[in-house]
Amino acid sequence: MIIELGHFLLALALSLSIFQFLVPAVGVKFNSHSMMKSTSIIAYMSFILVLFSFLSLVYAYITSDFSVSLVAKNSHSLKPLLYKISGVWGNHEGSLLLWVLILTFYSVAVAILGRRLPLKLLSLVLSCQGLIAVAFISFILFTSNPFVRIFFPNAEGEGFNPILQDFGLAIHPPFLYLGYVGLSVTFSFSIAALLVGKVDTIWVKWVRPWTLIAWVFLTIGIALGSWWAYRELGWGGWWFWDPVENASFMPWLAATALLHSSIVAEKRDTLKAWTILLAIIAFSFCLLGTFIVRSGVLVSVHAFASDPSRGLYILLLLVFFTGGGLALFAKRAPYLKSGSLFKPLSREGALVINNIIFASAAATVLLGTLYPIFIDAINNSKVSVGPPYFEAVFIPLMVPAILLCAFSPMLSWKRAIIDNIIERIIAVFICSLFLASLIIIIYGGSASAFLGLFLAFWLICGTLYEFLIKVGVKSSFKTFIQRALNLPRSAYGMSVAHIGVAIFIIGVTVSSAWRIDIEKPIILGEKIIVKDIELTFKNIKKVEGPNWNADRGEFEIITSNGAKHFLYPERRFYPASQVNTSEPAIMSGIFSDLYIVLGESLQEEDSFAFRIYYSPFISWIWFGILLMAMGGILSLSDRKHRLGYGLKQV
Amino acid sequence: MKNKLKYFYSYTPLIVFLILVLFFARQLILKEDPSELPSVLIDEKFPSIILSELVGYKVFSNKNLINANGPSLVNIWSSWCVPCKVEHEYLMSMSNNYNIIIYGINYKDNKEDALKVLDLNGNPFYAIGADQDGMQSINLGVYGVPETFIIDRDGNIRYRHVGPILEYDMEKIILPIINKIKQERL
Amino acid sequence: MTTIIKFIFCFFIISNSVLADTNNKAAYELYKELRCLVCQNQSLLESNAPLALDLKKVVMDKIELGQSKNEIKKFLVDRYGEFILLKPKYSIQNILLWLGPILFLLIGFFVTFVFLRKQSMYKEEPLPLTNEEENSLKKILDNNVS
Repeated sequence: MIIELGHFLLALALSLSIFQFLVPAVGVKFNSHSMMKSTSIIAYMSFILVLFSFLSLVYAYITSDFSVSLVAKNSHSLKPLLYKISGVWGNHEGSLLLWVLILTFYSVAVAILGRRLPLKLLSLVLSCQGLIAVAFISFILFTSNPFVRIFFPNAEGEGFNPILQDFGLAIHPPFLYLGYVGLSVTFSFSIAALLVGKVDTIWVKWVRPWTLIAWVFLTIGIALGSWWAYRELGWGGWWFWDPVENASFMPWLAATALLHSSIVAEKRDTLKAWTILLAIIAFSFCLLGTFIVRSGVLVSVHAFASDPSRGLYILLLLVFFTGGGLALFAKRAPYLKSGSLFKPLSREGALVINNIIFASAAATVLLGTLYPIFIDAINNSKVSVGPPYFEAVFIPLMVPAILLCAFSPMLSWKRAIIDNIIERIIAVFICSLFLASLIIIIYGGSASAFLGLFLAFWLICGTLYEFLIKVGVKSSFKTFIQRALNLPRSAYGMSVAHIGVAIFIIGVTVSSAWRIDIEKPIILGEKIIVKDIELTFKNIKKVEGPNWNADRGEFEIITSNGAKHFLYPERRFYPASQVNTSEPAIMSGIFSDLYIVLGESLQEEDSFAFRIYYSPFISWIWFGILLMAMGGILSLSDRKHRLGYGLKQV
Repeated sequence: MKNKLKYFYSYTPLIVFLILVLFFARQLILKEDPSELPSVLIDEKFPSIILSELVGYKVFSNKNLINANGPSLVNIWSSWCVPCKVEHEYLMSMSNNYNIIIYGINYKDNKEDALKVLDLNGNPFYAIGADQDGMQSINLGVYGVPETFIIDRDGNIRYRHVGPILEYDMEKIILPIINKIKQERL
Repeated sequence: MTTIIKFIFCFFIISNSVLADTNNKAAYELYKELRCLVCQNQSLLESNAPLALDLKKVVMDKIELGQSKNEIKKFLVDRYGEFILLKPKYSIQNILLWLGPILFLLIGFFVTFVFLRKQSMYKEEPLPLTNEEENSLKKILDNNVS
């Protein structure tokens, strides 16, 4: 009964979304104040309906109602509550419902926070959001209905894949969708601006905070996915340039570019057409990602069960929104007033270069991901583009961006004086060269390790130096503290985020350059020494889970300071699907991770194949990304960027 | 005049996007399985392979396939492979009813188990060889079981079928190709 | 005499293990560049699928025989097609793939350059004064006033 109610509410939400699209559009066309004003209420109601529809699905999962087809396929009565709930979005249909929930939620947020926006602009934005909701809700209702019942329910449910029962994986989709759908807001704003025909200061003041919100969520979402892959997938890697991963990375690259270009748009009232184009492209990457993941056109580890007919529907969505947006841009953008000028060597210039690099990076990832499709169509041959390609092209592309990142905050707007800058660059250069060389000399490393460290130190030294200049290191301590406290939060946000990038680079560089990879058979009782850690293979026994049986090994770990730990790697076998999986055991620390994978039992008595990875500083990868997100949050909390600031004068 | 140029530039993103859509549409319409690999050995001579004997059965090598009297099939199978069991009846049908010569390669199997399957379910094969470590099959570009190659009289590979040969495959794919080969050089 | 024999023996063992190490390293690198054909999207290095283990053995055997990376890759491509290479070949077919990134950068810079130049041709705004110029202007004005 509840499920049928949920279905009904969703259908109602569809009608309401149609109104959310039409009413403000008609209102703007005929200048009807009352029509435009009523849009917000429609948005609120739409959200409430979707919320309850979503909650009905959650209820079905929590109560393990296996008469609902989706629940029967994806859930299990023995699942812990958290994973029952996260199972709601762990499948194609449920995840789409979550998407729509977040979409309507954002519409409400825009309606509330944008109370003081010019009515015409707000109406157009909400209208666009409404149209997106119409598209996605109808996609759900017509092709991917989560509310379908089955007649002979299995008493237990079929969905019990423990790999998917992980905290990181459970919350990764909501964060990711909060990011994707956030980009729909900037998309709607861009469409609205193009329709209105002008981009004024109010518009730019609004794009940046929304971009930041989406960016922060996207950053955290991608980090969670990567962290999960590292802990669950058994080979110590954390990024595989898999089409589905790339599908989330491309919007992130576009959103980062958008973030930086909106700074220029806001401060200097220029690059507005480009910012609009970027916002359209960023959201298009989100739609493209949805297409890649759910249509089955590319080989991937992560893809949902794919279905070409669903793929066709998403392609139509893509053509409509992206094609429509780009067509509108093509027609209207040339008539937008262009902004103020700047010399190449200036803050604007540096941010433009940043944008060129990030846009090229996004285009490159797109090229690599889709190339198999291109070649198949043109040459009818199959090629594959994997991590070796992406690593070879992506890293060189990013190097100039990182070099720029350190000292472009030192550049002034409009035009910068070269002499001061050169002094500072030389100082930072020498400092980074020294530190990087020191480490390479002490620990020994390759040229690429040196480059990675150099870039990280360059970024840290440059950012700190710039901070000290801004706050005035030469004055007294009191003035120093005063100025530091007076610095706007967005300045701190930027510095923190950039240092986060540096920490990330350190994590990547050190964990790959100084990694120790041991693949060998180990006999029960044998002791192995890795770095300053002693590992003893103490025991192995058979254990049983709900739908699997496994060999569980026991390792006693003694670290350099004498502390004892135990690790239990498992090798599981699922009789139902005849699949073997490995559950690695990881001992994580600030400065290193010890990662043990249990392989097959070998012909010798009590001898098993093992893979042991010692990855130094690998946690810094996720610390760094977290720091980047925190920088973004800091920036958001800046009063100047608070949504609605400065509108009282309007 | 200058405005027109700006106009042109602003359409570029749209045009690039539409070209992308064409490629996507093609992929969707074709409904190909992206993980399925076409064989690169089509129209090439069947590679030389060395197979070991199965007790009681004739063994073969690539020499048997050259200058044969007609087309033949080479089927890669194992006793532990579930789809192979399903395909077995269609192999029997092709061998008995259509008089097609089928050579079998027993892939990474236990010889006793293989013999058991043949005893229990019947033998559709004209000759069988065992590739116990899988290395010979690598020469054929085999990446799973079962796979079936169609060879013409001159010993060239004309087609590689991935997965079991079921009724539809037999009638609509395998038999037509075999007939086509038979009609060449009549 | 026995010392010489012991020495040669040790040298043999050490050089063999060094050789084994170099071979391992070369194999490791090659595994990373080859696709596991039965997995969804993994390299040979990461995969434990039966076919992957077989292919790894083939690669290792060939490395021990002294074959080069390219020879081994050609061996596999001849049998499985280019799809087995995770690093696409440097060929005419893949030219857009490898040159793409640079092209994007160049196009980006070109377009930016053209646009900004167009803008500056329309606008005739003087650039603002820098701090030093402001100060010297102030001085001149003060001097004039006094």
